[in-house]
Formats: sequence, structure tokens, C-alpha cells
Amino acid sequence: MAKVYTGRDGVMQLAGVTLAKVSSFSLQSDLETLETTTLSENIRSYSPGILGYSGSANLLYYKDDSNAINTTNLLNKLIKTGTAGVSSSDTVELTLRWVDGADNNDIKLTAYITSATIGASTGEIVSVSISFVGTGALATATIS
Amino acid sequence: MAFPSLTPTSRQFETGDYPIKTFKSQSGAEVRILYGSQRTNMKLSLSYSNVSDANTELFIDHFDETKGTFSVFDLPSEALAGWGGNSDALDASGSNEWRYEAAPQVASVRPGVSTVTVALVGVF
Repeated sequence: MAKVYTGRDGVMQLAGVTLAKVSSFSLQSDLETLETTTLSENIRSYSPGILGYSGSANLLYYKDDSNAINTTNLLNKLIKTGTAGVSSSDTVELTLRWVDGADNNDIKLTAYITSATIGASTGEIVSVSISFVGTGALATATIS
Repeated sequence: MAFPSLTPTSRQFETGDYPIKTFKSQSGAEVRILYGSQRTNMKLSLSYSNVSDANTELFIDHFDETKGTFSVFDLPSEALAGWGGNSDALDASGSNEWRYEAAPQVASVRPGVSTVTVALVGVF
């Protein structure tokens, strides 16, 4: 059945568990191009270079009935105590999903959280913004 | 083995100069003596961006064949591709050959792709 997807169909998962109160997410895929134009040519030509993925998401800062905060496992990759900084194990398994009944269209990737923003403003709901960059190949890409 | 017949992605040429020796007296007067009739020390830098590793190897092989900076060689016409003037303008004032000024610089860009930069100096 024909279908136009909307934000109601969007789901974001962390390690296979659906995150609550996600207001938006996006993923961008960038291909680096290597120019192969030589002297005496008038039209640019390219070879494919490195492919990469990055994205961002916005979540409402939310505590559920069991007192669990929905953004804990995202924010704690960057906002943490200690002097160790970020290690290679500080990756997250993200699944970006567009649902059509029982049919899931998924993009699953391993990523580093590269920025995390949280604040508070008078008269506004507290939200968290994160940016991430994928490392390695996509685990799943069933979006066709 | 000849110099690789590939078209560079960028080229830089320095004209060199005529062999001149300058003398200055204590009074400040300057005397210049011309020791030759031909321009020398022309320099040519050729860059080949994002070429295959197989083509990159051609430069290394050619560098080996010329025993590094020792032997001289002619350049193929591809080296001057895109130049709209007379080809001898990018040479000395007369037929000259080239030798390596330094070893080719190879930068690996991604698997199978490299960028090569070659520095040459013109000699008679």
C-alpha cells in the first residue's frame, strides 16, 4: 500500500532499545571525491573516495516511571568525570527506523557521539541535542 | 624506460637564469660578467593527483632507472599538456634535458590511489 512517511513513523534505538521522547533525528552520508582532472582538460572528473556517515538527534530530557533518564547512555559518552576522556569503546549502536506496520526500514550504525548539548531555558522544555559520526560500515541499511 | 606519459594535474616552472657573476666595489659600483649564452637551472615541478598506485610505481621505477638524480632524460609531450605557448618556452633557450632534482614524493590518498610530486631541474 502506498505510504508517505511522517515523523510519527520515526523511531530511534540505542543498542536495540527504543529511545523515548525523540523529537527528531537525521543521518547524512558523505562521499569524499578525489579530483582527477588534468591539465588541458576543461571538464572536471573525479574518482570516488572515502564514504562516511554522520548525523544528529534531538531528544526531550525525560525521566520515566522507573526514574531512568532516556538520554543517560548518550550523554555519558561525553559528559563524564575522570581524566580518561573518550576511548575506542565509547561507541553507541544506533538504529534509525521508519515503521510501516510490521515492516521496518532500518539504518543501523556504530557511532561516536561527537557533541552533546543540554541546557535549560525559562518557559521551555529541556531538550538534549547530540551529533554523532559513524565508524565502520553500516550494519543494516534496509531503506529501499 | 621513458618518463611516464601521464598528464599532470598541476605544473610549476621556474625559468632559471643566465650564468652571471656580480662584483661590487667599495664605491658601490656594480660589475656583472656574463659567463654563458644559455639560461640554466630551469626547474619544473609536476604533480599527479589521485593516480593509481600502478601509475605511481612508474615514477619510482623511472627514478631507479635514471639512478636517481644522476642521469638525464627527455620529457613526453604530456608533461606540457595544457600549455598554449610554444613548448620551448618551458625549456631552456635551446634543447635541454631534465634530471630529478629530488626523489619523487608519494602520498597515499586511499587504497590504490596516490598523489605523486616530481621535482626536475633542466640541464644541458
